[in-house]
Amino acid sequence: MSLLTPFKRASGLGTTSDGVKHWWMQRVTAVALIPLTLWLVFAVAAHSGEDYATVTAWFAQPFTTTMLTLFVFTAFLHAVQGLTVIIEDYIHHEGVKIAALIGMKLVLVLLGTSSILSILRVAFAG
Amino acid sequence: MAEFTLPANSVIKSGKTWAAPAGATRVKNFRVYRYDPDSGENPRWDTYQIDLDQCGPMVLDALLKIKNEIDPTLTFRRSCREGICGSCSMNIDGTNTLACIKAIDACEGDVQISPLPHMEVVKDLIPDLTHFYAQYASIKPWMQTQTPAPPDRERLQSPEDRKKLDNHYECILCACCSTSCPSYWWNSDRYLGPAILLQANRWVVDSRDEATGERLDNLEDPFRLYRCHTIMNCTNTCPKGLNPAKSIAELKKKMIERR
Amino acid sequence: MTEYKIEHHTYDVVVVGAGGAGLRATFGMAVKGLSTACITKVFPTRSHTVAAQGGMSAALGNMEPDKWQWHMYDTVKGSDWLGDQDAIEYMCREAIPAVIELEHQGVPFSRTEEGRIYQRPFGGMTTEFGKGIAHRTCAAADRTGHAILHTLYQQSLRHDAVFFIEHFATDLIMDEEGVCRGVLAWDLANGILRIFRAQKVVLATGGYGRAYFSATSAHTCTGDGNGMVTRAGLPLQDMEFTQFHPTGIYGAGCLITEGVRGEGGYLTNAKGERFMERYAPNAKDLASRDVVSRSMTIEINEGRGVGPKQDHIHLHLEHLGPEVIHERLPGIAESARIFAGVDVTKQPIPVLPTVHYNMGGIPTNYHGEVVTLKDGEPDSVVPGLMAIGECACVSVHGANRLGSNSLLDIVVFGRAAANRCAETVTPSATQPALPEAGVAKVLERFKRIHHGNGNTSTAQIREAMQHTMQKHAAVFRTAETLQEGVDKMNEIYASFNDVAVTDRSLVWNSDLMETFELANLLDCAQTSIQCALNREESRGAHAREDFPDRNDEQWMKHSIAWVDEAGKVSIDYRPVHTYTLTDEIEYIAPKKRVY
Repeated sequence: MSLLTPFKRASGLGTTSDGVKHWWMQRVTAVALIPLTLWLVFAVAAHSGEDYATVTAWFAQPFTTTMLTLFVFTAFLHAVQGLTVIIEDYIHHEGVKIAALIGMKLVLVLLGTSSILSILRVAFAG
Repeated sequence: MAEFTLPANSVIKSGKTWAAPAGATRVKNFRVYRYDPDSGENPRWDTYQIDLDQCGPMVLDALLKIKNEIDPTLTFRRSCREGICGSCSMNIDGTNTLACIKAIDACEGDVQISPLPHMEVVKDLIPDLTHFYAQYASIKPWMQTQTPAPPDRERLQSPEDRKKLDNHYECILCACCSTSCPSYWWNSDRYLGPAILLQANRWVVDSRDEATGERLDNLEDPFRLYRCHTIMNCTNTCPKGLNPAKSIAELKKKMIERR
Repeated sequence: MTEYKIEHHTYDVVVVGAGGAGLRATFGMAVKGLSTACITKVFPTRSHTVAAQGGMSAALGNMEPDKWQWHMYDTVKGSDWLGDQDAIEYMCREAIPAVIELEHQGVPFSRTEEGRIYQRPFGGMTTEFGKGIAHRTCAAADRTGHAILHTLYQQSLRHDAVFFIEHFATDLIMDEEGVCRGVLAWDLANGILRIFRAQKVVLATGGYGRAYFSATSAHTCTGDGNGMVTRAGLPLQDMEFTQFHPTGIYGAGCLITEGVRGEGGYLTNAKGERFMERYAPNAKDLASRDVVSRSMTIEINEGRGVGPKQDHIHLHLEHLGPEVIHERLPGIAESARIFAGVDVTKQPIPVLPTVHYNMGGIPTNYHGEVVTLKDGEPDSVVPGLMAIGECACVSVHGANRLGSNSLLDIVVFGRAAANRCAETVTPSATQPALPEAGVAKVLERFKRIHHGNGNTSTAQIREAMQHTMQKHAAVFRTAETLQEGVDKMNEIYASFNDVAVTDRSLVWNSDLMETFELANLLDCAQTSIQCALNREESRGAHAREDFPDRNDEQWMKHSIAWVDEAGKVSIDYRPVHTYTLTDEIEYIAPKKRVY
């Protein structure tokens, strides 16, 4: 049985004075992903069936490289923010939660960085 | 992890059935959640068969009939019976509402009645609302000003400014909205929930209150405010027709405005 | 008593009840530095103050010039001269700062274009001593009680008042000298019995509308304070005066505010006639509540009621238009839709006079101190005990309360009680031990009722009482019907000895709580009907067909009634205070009461 007062429990450790930035960035990235995703879908569809050389040449075009990089960056940023919320929502064991958050971020940063590097490599190395 | 199954001692067993009296003409089954803290037994569903021709129109009337005529041990909160005190909030047919203004005819088939979801149950249909009330106190729900009030008359407020309080001050603290919110189920230890956030916004939009900044500061937290994921159960379930989701959206908007 | 877990508490003041009066008193005392506990059987914002709709009267003069003296005249006339004019003066004068204080605390009052508090007309409220119609009732749409109660609770949070929520107070603890020394309360959440010791106990337990079958009152309005007082050997005052609100929803009994008529609504009979014009040519639908309720009852009795059974009346507000309804009467539009299935912008609401308020209660002076007739002294203060709000009879409402004077009553006298305690109570003074006999007596009663082993259920006794009161102590009364009612009530009162409590647990045993409440209701019903039989005149809400006139010579006095353990009622009287508090207004002499 807890002997804490209800008010003590309700007020907890106080506010973090944070949260609005996270919330806002998640919205901004979500909105940014709409045109980026639409572009990606149509662009990939337009190049379907083409051979490897043509596609890599298309990748190497500055506009394509920029858009792809932007897409991957935004998507991973959005994913990190979304997964953070999901982990915070559902994992209540403090240790597991922190491990999951760090693990998730490491994995996504790794995946994100390698995705962007792949794009750049195709763009610059052909 | 958040718990997605009931703990063993919360699993609901089937209970007793109280048959309708002989000669009953229009019978409806009321499946009511029962939990007796003294017995150490699991909760159970008791079924009461009620003759609707001998019963008032609301679900509360049926509960009162059960308590008065069939089973005096059935326990639930009730007071005003006209939807203004917020005592008889419970889950009826899967929706949180006030038993006193929920018509029996609006329930198809058997009527299933359980306490507000995801709260600790004290007995039968009585949830423990202590934490909910403490969260209410934590937002300092009273007028805070620096400017002294005029000594011999009211503070002035234009009808337009007064209108901003509409859809806020009518809240009866029944907790239907908060306990319908999955986000509140998982994180009520830190998330304030729709009812309390609506109350917080009531003071933020009050033209007379001067602590707007402090009030917003107090909410700026990934849990207190931002656990709202716009699920909208709160607005769907509010028995008073209020829109807590909109109040929360207004709070989030103000958080952006002041950046 | 080993069966029960008992805990002891000591406070300077214990307030029982957390409606408007109890909350105002509680945080008032906290502000004054007294250690104060408020015991309440429901969470504070569930108290019945929350259901008050129309507003709170105060001569602010926001709509047109107004004076508290006019307000006082109306209140005295409304009381049919049974009100104590010193107390009425105090209330009407304090009304103005009381409303302003509430506004400063944050009550979301509706506003005029100038940003002032909006005020609406209400029954019996006039200007210039009856000449014009006053806009005196300060309103927050039609949810004023809700707005005020929530604000008062918020102020209690602000001032860190101590609450014992969902605790049921069963009895006062009295000592041999008749001093109130504390109170016994039962903690519903865990079954603990808490013995509170206090220098003052303030009862703010509300009315006893549930003594009747159909009432606008909440299920929790069970006259608990009144019951505690009778068991402490003290009298209740003016219990025969029960107000019937003209507009309770037909069938459901839910309240439709008088504010509807204040905003321009009116009543019609089966012929579509605005019959109030016949009964009250000047005030019409805004006559005092007792007048309107009687007129409606006469219309129904003479066969002009509406509906298939011709047993109710129509209340119209269709002509007000959806905008006015939406802005000023949104709550009753909702209630009418839910409980009468009526769209108020198109159809009239079916209404019926419904029990609404108890003018009578625990006799007090205008400080809130309980008084009794002792050794020939009618204003003898009972040490240690105070009462405020509907459970008290100050008496500011006399034989009939004016609409919107009750929210005023609770706030003004809640504050008065706090002020009085600040004067009379020494903070943290050492208190003597509680009298053993007094404690034993209340614990013994708890145990006896807890183990009630008879054959009649609480609900059966309660229903018998409610039907008897409904039938025999109605709007119009005669010696014959009352005598029948008294005989039946005597039997019903005695049947409580045979009460059966089915649930023996202590955690949230609502069966037991309802049994305690029934005991309190029985005391209220018993005194109410016997005083009604006793008072052979018609005054305010007490209308005797066999004595149709007011009889000031014989009956301008408060009846006070004691109940013994067997339910036998003895009646005596206290004089009405025929003086005012200050020289700013003269005593208002009785005259014929016409609207």
